[in-house]
Amino acid sequence: MSADLAVSTTHVVVAPMLAALVTAVLTLGTRRYDRLQRVLSLLGIGAYGVGVIVLTTRVLSGGTLTYQLSAWPAPFGITLVADALAVFMLALAALTTVAILIFSVAYVDEEGQRVSYHPLFHFMLLGVSGSFLTGDIFNLFVWFEVMLMPSYVFVVFYSGPRQTAAALQYTVLNLVGSALMLVAIGGIYATTGTLNMADITRRLADPAAFGIDPAPVLGLSAILLLVFALKAGIVPFQFWVPPAYRAAPAPISAFLAGVTKKVGVYAIVRLYFTVFAAGVVDGGLGLPGLSGESFLAFFGPVLFLMALASMLVGGVGAVSRDNLDDVFAYSSIGQVGFIVLPLAVVATIGDHSFGAAATDLQVLGVIAALVYSLNHAVAKSLLFMVSGTVFDAADTIELDRLGGLTTRYPVLSGSFFVGSLALVGIPPLSGFFGKLLVFDTGGQALAAGAPGAGLALAGALVGAIFTIAYLSRAWTKGFWGDVTPAVERGEQSTVLVGVVAALALVVVAIGVGFDPVYSFAEAAAEAALDSEGYVDAVDPEVVAHE
Amino acid sequence: MQPSSSALLALLALPFLGAAFAPLVYRVLGERTAYFAAAVAAASLALVASLFGTQGTVAVPWIPTYGVSLAFYVDGLALLIGTLASGVGVLVFTYSGGYMHGEPGQVKYYATLLAFMGSMLGVAFAADLIALFVFWELTSVSSFLLIGHYQDADASQYAARKSMLITVAGGLFMLVGFLLLHVVATGVPAVDSAFRLAGEGSILANADTMVGALRAQGLFVPVLLLVGVGAATKSAQVPFHIWLPNAMEAPTPVSAFLHSATMVKAGVYLVGRFRPLLLTDEWTLVFGILGLATMTITAILAVAASDIKELLAYSTASHLGLIVAGYGMSGYLGAETGAFHILNHALFKAALFLVAGIVAHEAGTRAIDELGGLASDLPLTAAVTTVAALGMAGVPPFNGFYSKEFLFHAVYYTAEHAVADGGSVLWWLLPAVAVFGSIFTFLYSIRFLMLFFGDKPDALGEVHAPPLAMTVPAVVLGGLALVVGLGGVAGTFGVHFTPLERFVGTVMESSLAHAGEGEHSFSYYLPTEVSPWLIMSAVTIGVGAVAYPFFDGIRDGVRAVRDVDYLRPNWYYDGTVAGLDRSSAIDVIQTGNLRTYALALSLALAALTLGAYAAAGVAVPGLAFAGLGPALVVVLAVAVVGAVAVAAAPSHIAGVLTLSIVGFMVAIFYILGSAPDLALTQLVIETLVLVIFLLVLDKLPAFYGTANRLRAARDAVVAGAVGLTVTVTVLLSTAAGPDDVIAQYFVENGGVPAEHGPIFADAGGGGNIVNVILVDFRAFDTLGEISVVAMAALSVITLIAMRERGEIQ
Repeated sequence: MSADLAVSTTHVVVAPMLAALVTAVLTLGTRRYDRLQRVLSLLGIGAYGVGVIVLTTRVLSGGTLTYQLSAWPAPFGITLVADALAVFMLALAALTTVAILIFSVAYVDEEGQRVSYHPLFHFMLLGVSGSFLTGDIFNLFVWFEVMLMPSYVFVVFYSGPRQTAAALQYTVLNLVGSALMLVAIGGIYATTGTLNMADITRRLADPAAFGIDPAPVLGLSAILLLVFALKAGIVPFQFWVPPAYRAAPAPISAFLAGVTKKVGVYAIVRLYFTVFAAGVVDGGLGLPGLSGESFLAFFGPVLFLMALASMLVGGVGAVSRDNLDDVFAYSSIGQVGFIVLPLAVVATIGDHSFGAAATDLQVLGVIAALVYSLNHAVAKSLLFMVSGTVFDAADTIELDRLGGLTTRYPVLSGSFFVGSLALVGIPPLSGFFGKLLVFDTGGQALAAGAPGAGLALAGALVGAIFTIAYLSRAWTKGFWGDVTPAVERGEQSTVLVGVVAALALVVVAIGVGFDPVYSFAEAAAEAALDSEGYVDAVDPEVVAHE
Repeated sequence: MQPSSSALLALLALPFLGAAFAPLVYRVLGERTAYFAAAVAAASLALVASLFGTQGTVAVPWIPTYGVSLAFYVDGLALLIGTLASGVGVLVFTYSGGYMHGEPGQVKYYATLLAFMGSMLGVAFAADLIALFVFWELTSVSSFLLIGHYQDADASQYAARKSMLITVAGGLFMLVGFLLLHVVATGVPAVDSAFRLAGEGSILANADTMVGALRAQGLFVPVLLLVGVGAATKSAQVPFHIWLPNAMEAPTPVSAFLHSATMVKAGVYLVGRFRPLLLTDEWTLVFGILGLATMTITAILAVAASDIKELLAYSTASHLGLIVAGYGMSGYLGAETGAFHILNHALFKAALFLVAGIVAHEAGTRAIDELGGLASDLPLTAAVTTVAALGMAGVPPFNGFYSKEFLFHAVYYTAEHAVADGGSVLWWLLPAVAVFGSIFTFLYSIRFLMLFFGDKPDALGEVHAPPLAMTVPAVVLGGLALVVGLGGVAGTFGVHFTPLERFVGTVMESSLAHAGEGEHSFSYYLPTEVSPWLIMSAVTIGVGAVAYPFFDGIRDGVRAVRDVDYLRPNWYYDGTVAGLDRSSAIDVIQTGNLRTYALALSLALAALTLGAYAAAGVAVPGLAFAGLGPALVVVLAVAVVGAVAVAAAPSHIAGVLTLSIVGFMVAIFYILGSAPDLALTQLVIETLVLVIFLLVLDKLPAFYGTANRLRAARDAVVAGAVGLTVTVTVLLSTAAGPDDVIAQYFVENGGVPAEHGPIFADAGGGGNIVNVILVDFRAFDTLGEISVVAMAALSVITLIAMRERGEIQ
């Protein structure tokens, strides 16, 4: 009996993935019945949401859940790990994608929906969820592919020349990324002898016991960082972002910017702060300008430069674009800089070695990244959907051809205003706490005398000023001013505006009721930094060697 | 006495509730919503009044896990700002009832203006750093909407964006300052709650310990500067003063509110609030210079103004400079200056803006040159202007005179003591600059007053009498300013206006540093004996009166200097913002060419990976050629030749063909390496790819184009770096020898059942462990890969189905 009970508890780990997979297959099979297909798709996302809620409550109340597929013990089979970090990301994805799918049903033309939109949407969600849950590094590669494949199709979805060009660049860069990911994973398997992430952690923490040399793993994990940075659109791997976001249908841009990007962020947190953080270079890092022995001491400065460059490139790009989608796409590059910056700061502040409790500042830095991610997921997908709604009504999202939207579409404009203010970091919206925590991380690092903390604060301030500059520009040019003929002619869709307004309320609610969100993010951050707890939860079998 | 928590919380909730209900109310009341809003403001004023005489904290938890609460603190300074915000609010809403008649967007106007007032009340009473910041930013956002009220006008858009950029950005600097303060406070045991600014166990209550801790961590000056930037941007101090003149694009009642009781007063409030904590020599230096520079520069710019609201806007910046300079000086004189001038400025400036609105409304123009002799048509307004403008000029016995005397006294005292203590003679610049700036204040004040006197220009048409709703608020404000002025006259004769003096005294106490500024009771009166500061006032008025006949010449001179490039007040803002808005710098990075992106990716890969190997100090194993048989050597050599040929291929077709040579050699390599399954897969893929490529290439132009040498050389270097990176990676990976428990597990457990006999396992090379791994141990991977294949098929269908649909978006 007790064994059965145990099985039923851990089965909930696969619930979100199962919902996405089954829905993908069902919507694929019902292409001829488009109403049924849409109903199934919406029911499916509902089931996904319920699955995530159930899983989240279980994990937050009862601790990390693991699920060994086919009941093969780790590290011989594949392990799924639902810890607080994974469920935080799942919750972020569920919250955003429910809104995006409802929006899609009203936005994407019927033929497009019928052909492949729904199955691809759920496959993409499957890939995202798999990436959050898997505890196996090769399996992570597989879910990355599952996530990427539909995104290639979505970028070229409308099949015009601009979409084709964008998709070609997007696909080529990501295929190179996939190849590099395989090289890195192959190398990690060859050097550590395992693919299970908990097992890798354990082995890196005690290399002598497993006969491994951790030194090459630093370089291999550097290749992986490149792959994750490519997914997250961090400079210098941001090139695909503006054309792809502009080419894809608006709800897909919302998905890519809101959720898929966060898979890259998650992978950086999970692999570098939970797994590779256990790695130590004997004798310390041997490059000028670097100090410390932990792997993180190498990645800290790298992430730092990438974050600052992202904020700058994103800001300079967004402030000069004349198309709403372009503004938001460059903005995404800049915003991801804000997500990475606190991670970079706490990666640099001294070694976080295996078994030692993470310091409060390290926890704070990860909380900052997670809260900022949550805000960006909600606010940026809101903004992309505003852009879609504007396009639906006015047939253009060129700022030169827009004007007077506030007069014609007050609710839509109000939602844009709320989303923009959230990105700027105006209290008491969700984005305020993102900014607050990023600044707090920088400030505490400065007080603790961490090198570069002052520069981090300065960079964050400059990045924030850019955010005000480009969003106020989009607002004054597009939403104020005389009503243009394009805006005058159009008619808004109630469903689209309803979804956007609902997300605007979510942005307000997260900010006003921030206390539980903070607790959730704190639990997630502690889980991310608790390498030992992660290993214990997965408990890879200790096989006596010789 | 402890403030009533219900009154305090009701006070802060009321304006926001009013804002939320404004749309409903508008449906019922229409334009009379103004009086609803005025009633809300009056209720707020009553609630503020009920808090008089109390002092203390009220706190409601907000984010307990992060230590943030909605805490509010009542003291003199908070009550002063609260009274101004709600009191001037009543008058501004009433006035709006007349002024906004027939204007567009009234629902938004009243809702935002109520929220604006609520935010300012929040700033005044907030005792938690985060709560203070929340309301602080809300004042910026609501003023953004109000300044952009006439949203169709380019000037409004420009003004709104400018105010938002400067004040919100400044707010972020202040937030960083707050967070640094919080970090330091966390380490001070006497501070119970590290975000708590005022009240028991707060940062201000432990000022000395806090300053010590700040200095110990080297954070004192950063915090001072960061908070200073926040205050300076909000209060339009040089060089951030430039947003304020543009803010006159807002409807005039908003301007009156924004300039007298809200928004800009938040900045000086912050200075007054932090003075007890941060008052040091650095403080005096920073705020003394900032305040006096602003006071002087913006007074000069006010003289050059051509529009009455522009004149008043620069004047506001100038008077805020005076307040900041006052708070900058140490000793009770400094606190007195700040406290009293906040009140005086609010009274005369709100009155003058309402006058400006009446003039614009009734005369139909705001241009200074087109106005004159208005007193005959607007006698009551002229009387109000006389009181207010002379107060602004600092002429006795009007209200501004007394607080300016305090400033003169404070700066003189500071300079005298600094020089006596061996400081530089440059300290004497403080009083000199204060007098110099005040002369310009006198000039523009008189110029404004003269709008009502002298000849009425012929071009000026009929001037109507303003509606009562607009006159009454102006008269009330002017009357209050007069009362304050007369209070000083009475004080000269020993008859003190005690409630006022006592109240200003409590405001002053809020800004007194606990150490060394001692007990002092506030009183004011006309000077009865000659003192240096009285002489300073006399010089100001005397020189001003002598110079006034030459006003036009002075104005033209100032304009000439102002219009020189780099001296224009806006050159840095316009240059930066317009430059960025039109910048094409990003196109250097986002070229649109895949080859640029591939180049960046490759270089980043090589740098990052080789850097990591170098940092970890890996020993790269040598190449071991010894084990290679002749067959392998031949295969690899052909592959290398094929690879070189790909790079050198003159056409697409040749490239694909040579590429397939490499692929087939890899297949043979697999065969030689005893991996027939891999070899088969590789062969199938190579064949398919070759065929598909050839079919597609048929549709493409055959010619590659030629690369120039430089580019070819660059590409060769990058390709070499990537090759090196991958080679090192492969060498390191293949040389590693971790324990192989996983492989062993499969071999040990994956053997063929014993009853089959050993031959199958021996000869067959295993019980097909690979298959079992694929479909069972790692079936989850396979599931994912199958999905990918399914999606690939779906992609093809999509591409075909959506083809020809062209550019829908």
